[in-house]
Amino acid sequence: MAKDLRVTRIEDLPGPKSKEELEEMKMPYEEYCRQQFDVGNEFSKPQALDGIRWLSTTMYIFTPHSVANIAEMGAEVIKIEMPRMGDPMRHTSPFNECYLYPLHDSRPMTGAGMGFLGANDSEYYITMDYHLDEMKEAFYRMVKMSDGLTECYRPGTFDRWKQSYRYVQELNPRFIYVWGGGFGYGPKCFGGSYDILGQSHAGLGSVTGFHETFGGHCAKHSNWCIDWYSGTQITFGMLAALHWRRKTGLGTMIEFSQVQAATRCLGYAAPLYGRFGIVRQRWGNWDTQLCAHGIILCGKSDFPDAKNPQDKYDARYAMVSAFQDEDFKELCAVTGNQQLYDKYKATKDRVEGEAQVEIYAALEKWAEDKSRSEVVKILQDAGLLAEPVMNDREVYESEHFRQRGSIRWIDDPTYGDVLVQSAYSSGLMAKTPRRQTWIWRTVGADNVKIYHEMLGYPMSKVEEWYEKAWI
Amino acid sequence: MCDIIWCKKEVDGKVCNTVNYLDPYCFWNWEGKVNCAECGAVYYIHMIQGHMYKGPEERPGEKPDTSPLYADKPLDGYTNYSPGVEGRTRPFQCLPRDIYLGVPDMVKFSVRGRPVRGWRPQPPSAGIAGSMPYSWDLKNGSPEVWEEYQKRLNSGEVKDW
Repeated sequence: MAKDLRVTRIEDLPGPKSKEELEEMKMPYEEYCRQQFDVGNEFSKPQALDGIRWLSTTMYIFTPHSVANIAEMGAEVIKIEMPRMGDPMRHTSPFNECYLYPLHDSRPMTGAGMGFLGANDSEYYITMDYHLDEMKEAFYRMVKMSDGLTECYRPGTFDRWKQSYRYVQELNPRFIYVWGGGFGYGPKCFGGSYDILGQSHAGLGSVTGFHETFGGHCAKHSNWCIDWYSGTQITFGMLAALHWRRKTGLGTMIEFSQVQAATRCLGYAAPLYGRFGIVRQRWGNWDTQLCAHGIILCGKSDFPDAKNPQDKYDARYAMVSAFQDEDFKELCAVTGNQQLYDKYKATKDRVEGEAQVEIYAALEKWAEDKSRSEVVKILQDAGLLAEPVMNDREVYESEHFRQRGSIRWIDDPTYGDVLVQSAYSSGLMAKTPRRQTWIWRTVGADNVKIYHEMLGYPMSKVEEWYEKAWI
Repeated sequence: MCDIIWCKKEVDGKVCNTVNYLDPYCFWNWEGKVNCAECGAVYYIHMIQGHMYKGPEERPGEKPDTSPLYADKPLDGYTNYSPGVEGRTRPFQCLPRDIYLGVPDMVKFSVRGRPVRGWRPQPPSAGIAGSMPYSWDLKNGSPEVWEEYQKRLNSGEVKDW
């Protein structure tokens, strides 16, 4: 009988014919994930925040990072810097030698330091001395054409310059205004902030590092961790405000104090004090709630012949985790510390301070004649969780990060071959992945694009402002 | 928090007068013997929480456990022994390495051997900032770097990672 073309029969369609066949045809989950995230092809996919335009009058890392987050997800971010100087962060560089030139076309022998990396990528860079009356019009016109602004001046500065939320909401009621800074309004409203100040004032520094009993001190999380972290918290506020605007049609003001943000990391510290009057103390590389669950020092370096001291001396730390009773029993067996298991069979016994002192000392004693990788291998072979504490060279060489694209080389349009992690280390998104267009651009590189092409000022005007150093 | 041992030992009728600086971290909670960088006299110390609990007491004839990090002679116009002088001071791991120059480093190639840009001075052909907004023509902009890149490519020095 001839096939009736009007009838769709399931057996004629491509794909599985039964539930069992469907199960059979499903690709392995690993492969499915690789196909979904398709690392390396980010630029062929759409961007979640395409169509959002954000102004950024920010400096250093904290507030810039909050907008770099949305720039990586597709928002058009216009970073406004002071003419011919730029963000002060451009003038920092590790060891005073890692600069990329030029800073600005009038300053070819001054560079922007690599400290500027990561918090300012994929944005357009213009200059404007926006506190001048003469530049107010251009500033307000940008406000009218944008969805929001992030600034980092001291409280009230933008108000004095007539560009705070009180003023800009009259021009653009849908405008989302973000202030990010030190203390915010209150008794310390004139206080600025840096990462270390945030960590100290918020109480975070006091619970970080080893206790003095072990020769330690309170320590700051390194690499301005709270700048990165609180910048990301601002991003959440911005996205929530955008969602709120979709519902109400109205903008809002976000006030974000850095010293306040860091208290979020304190976990149970405040409730603990509130209920029991206990002031939380430092516990270093150990854990107050789990043991063994910490970092131990091994006797031998993995790279004893390396030239770099970071490899030669420092590749000696290993993370060990065996806090469940069974795991702890195995840990004691494999390290020849059976007496420790007999003494500390239960978690509640192991987490006691004295017990931890004894347990970690015994583990370090056992690791005394071993290299970091030997320690890790012995523990992993015993079915325990252990990993070396890797330095950034090892992270670069790690196959895990390479396959996931967390760290990769980009061909920056201005600076050539650059190794970056930033956008690509912030998680994978199947449909709208983050991407990094460029690491940064020179001061005022996009003045013509924004003032002439977007706002429509004639080139003669742009040149005049440039000559006067207003832009 | 750096404590010192001021060596007052008489050597050849002259007071040694060397100030031996103890590195704060190793000597935070520490008990042992340290030599004087100048005359080699050995002192016993016991430090608790950064405070000199016992000592310095001279221990003639004994071997030191470690050496001071740095020593100088303030009464002799500040002649000094910098860290890492064999038999006198001990090395300091965080010494600036030779790869750190203290001056801007004008590399032309990344660690995997591909060309970078952004050294100074930029050649006039590079144009002013922003005039080459979204691409950089290495071949015509920096021909000497292009040539070296070709050589590296041919010799297999250029890697993917």
